[in-house]
Amino acid sequence: MSEESKVIKNAVCTFCGCVCDDIELTVDPAGKHITKANNACVLGKAWFLEHKVEDYPVALIDGKEASLKDAVEAAAQIFVSAKFPAIYGLSDTTCEAQKEAVAIADYVNGNIDTTTSVCHGPTGMAFQGVGESTASLGEIKNRADFVMYWGGNPAEAHPRHFERYAVTAKGANTPNGKDDRHVAMVDIRPTPSSLIADTFLQIKPGSDFELLWAMRALVKDAALDDSVEERTGISKAVLEELVERMKNCQFGVIFFGMGLTMTRGRHFNAGALLELATDLNQYTHFVALPTRGHGNVTGADNVVSWQTGFPFGVNFNRGYPRFNPGEYTTSDILGRGEADALCVIASDPASNFSAKAIEHIKKIPVITLDPKPTVTSSLAKVAFTTATYGINVPGTVYRMDNVALSLRPAFDSPFPSDQMVLKAIKERVCELRGLNQTTKTTAA
Amino acid sequence: MKLVLHTQPEVPLEAEVISPDFLNGKTADEVAALTLFHGNNEVPLSEFFDVSGEIENAHIEVEGDLTKVKLLGHKMSDGSLTIKGSVGAHLGAEMTGGEILVEGNAGDWIGREMSGGRIIIKGDAGHLVGSAVRGSATGMLGGEIIIQGNARNEVGNGMRRGLIAIGGDSGDFTGVNMKAGTIFVLGKLGQRPGAGMIRGSIISTQSAELLPTFTYNTTFQPSFLRNYMIYFRKLGLDIRKEYIDGEYQRWSGDSLELNKGEILLYAD
Repeated sequence: MSEESKVIKNAVCTFCGCVCDDIELTVDPAGKHITKANNACVLGKAWFLEHKVEDYPVALIDGKEASLKDAVEAAAQIFVSAKFPAIYGLSDTTCEAQKEAVAIADYVNGNIDTTTSVCHGPTGMAFQGVGESTASLGEIKNRADFVMYWGGNPAEAHPRHFERYAVTAKGANTPNGKDDRHVAMVDIRPTPSSLIADTFLQIKPGSDFELLWAMRALVKDAALDDSVEERTGISKAVLEELVERMKNCQFGVIFFGMGLTMTRGRHFNAGALLELATDLNQYTHFVALPTRGHGNVTGADNVVSWQTGFPFGVNFNRGYPRFNPGEYTTSDILGRGEADALCVIASDPASNFSAKAIEHIKKIPVITLDPKPTVTSSLAKVAFTTATYGINVPGTVYRMDNVALSLRPAFDSPFPSDQMVLKAIKERVCELRGLNQTTKTTAA
Repeated sequence: MKLVLHTQPEVPLEAEVISPDFLNGKTADEVAALTLFHGNNEVPLSEFFDVSGEIENAHIEVEGDLTKVKLLGHKMSDGSLTIKGSVGAHLGAEMTGGEILVEGNAGDWIGREMSGGRIIIKGDAGHLVGSAVRGSATGMLGGEIIIQGNARNEVGNGMRRGLIAIGGDSGDFTGVNMKAGTIFVLGKLGQRPGAGMIRGSIISTQSAELLPTFTYNTTFQPSFLRNYMIYFRKLGLDIRKEYIDGEYQRWSGDSLELNKGEILLYAD
């Protein structure tokens, strides 16, 4: 080991969906931890600087230390003996690992779902229902002169979203940064993000759909009842002024968060916002993008889509993929007590699902892959400790605007990657079921 | 013929073969040998059901707690299916004729994309009654769905023709994106009824909060309602006399679409 610190330029931060790829990491001479993370935000700094390789066993079976080989065998046995095995998580791992997980779901005729189903799943359904007008964040940085955030708090959740992409960022057609943009914010309460807004609409909780519907009516010049103010807390005059501004901008963008997709109305809320963006294209260029949370949740949507045709909540019980949120989404199949085995990759459903679902998790064999112990891993039959993507593991991740980026890991980990473990399980599953891996199209 | 569930499935059981069309002309032994999907496993029907009797007048009776059994009466075109107990998702999906009677509750997606026949649920129903599948714009194309209890969200999502009647309350987005057809809710409508509706009628005997894209037209006594209400009485719904003779507010919408849909609310 050299005495000098190693410096990694343009490293990629996978903490949130911004996936900033301009981080400069300094690794201590022993190659065990990161000492500096220049350019990273407060969340990114915590992600890099607090990461240490800890002394966990590589695998546990029934809470007892086990070899990787034995744990792979035990996991494969769980998969092949299950009638309704479910795979869940996947938003905090590389696309290469996600691909292996889809292959396993296909080989065992199981169910595959990602954390999308509990965050922007409604957005995925809305894309399918009403379509999507979109752009890359680079295009938005260079062109957007009207920026709206709906139901999100990027100042705290995506701290560099403003400076790198959408508000203070300076681009080819926005050389003065924020001075060249009008920023509007819609939320149910003031947040640190709303301080930056030129227009802030504080709406009544649960009235997003009504407000979006009213804005659509104004854009389309359709009949609109005066009850809109009483229902949403925003007067028709304020809305008219805002809609006029939106119609007259050069390039408008609406970012929307879980404040919209996880409140009553869900996929209809997301759909209404996407339709508003579509309607505005009668007048100017307008796009809408979800602000995605986890580092590679967008990658999970992409990988599951290009392998199965659907973004999340996909079931292979009958040998072909079927998509039906509500029927095949993990929180629902666990809540109804349907799955008889569960594999969780980089997620912790036992700490955030409904009490009924958690009750069911305790009854069935669970396999977990995670860099750290979690509530779910403490309930697991087989628990793998894996290396952390982006810090220890190379691979591909997708930014929230569907731009693929390659990771530049800082140092090695003694633990295997999610991809290595999943690939080993996949190969063992194929052996046990007597399957030839080349015969299935979704095989890795 | 009678099918009695003797073993509760551990994971969902997909039983689209339990439909008069498919079972007609088969003996009890032949029916017992048919294949069901228990999760990802193909199993003979006899592993879960006792089969007895012969099929007379294309009538089948299924008994037991069938909440984990999906797709009963799938694509049925004729005959009748009586279910004594509660039933799981996709009951009568894509059916074109015949009658299904459930003496219990039903799961989600009852009569999805159905185009004919009748489904009667004596208890409550889940989400997406008579709806389109995700990714499709068109739901129910014809036939009748009568629910004596409550129904949950998205009743008649995208429906084009047919009749849905709910004896109790309905959930949010009743008649969302409907193209035509008729939905009666004798209890309360949930939030945002008729969002994105093009044509069609949604009728409720209770007051409702409507979207700002609906406009009030008039209050009148719709004579056609009388015929419907008397028909529902015959099918077992509890219809009060004032709902038959009373006046209704007419609201038109959704103005974002054609504005040719109507919501009729009983005006007491």
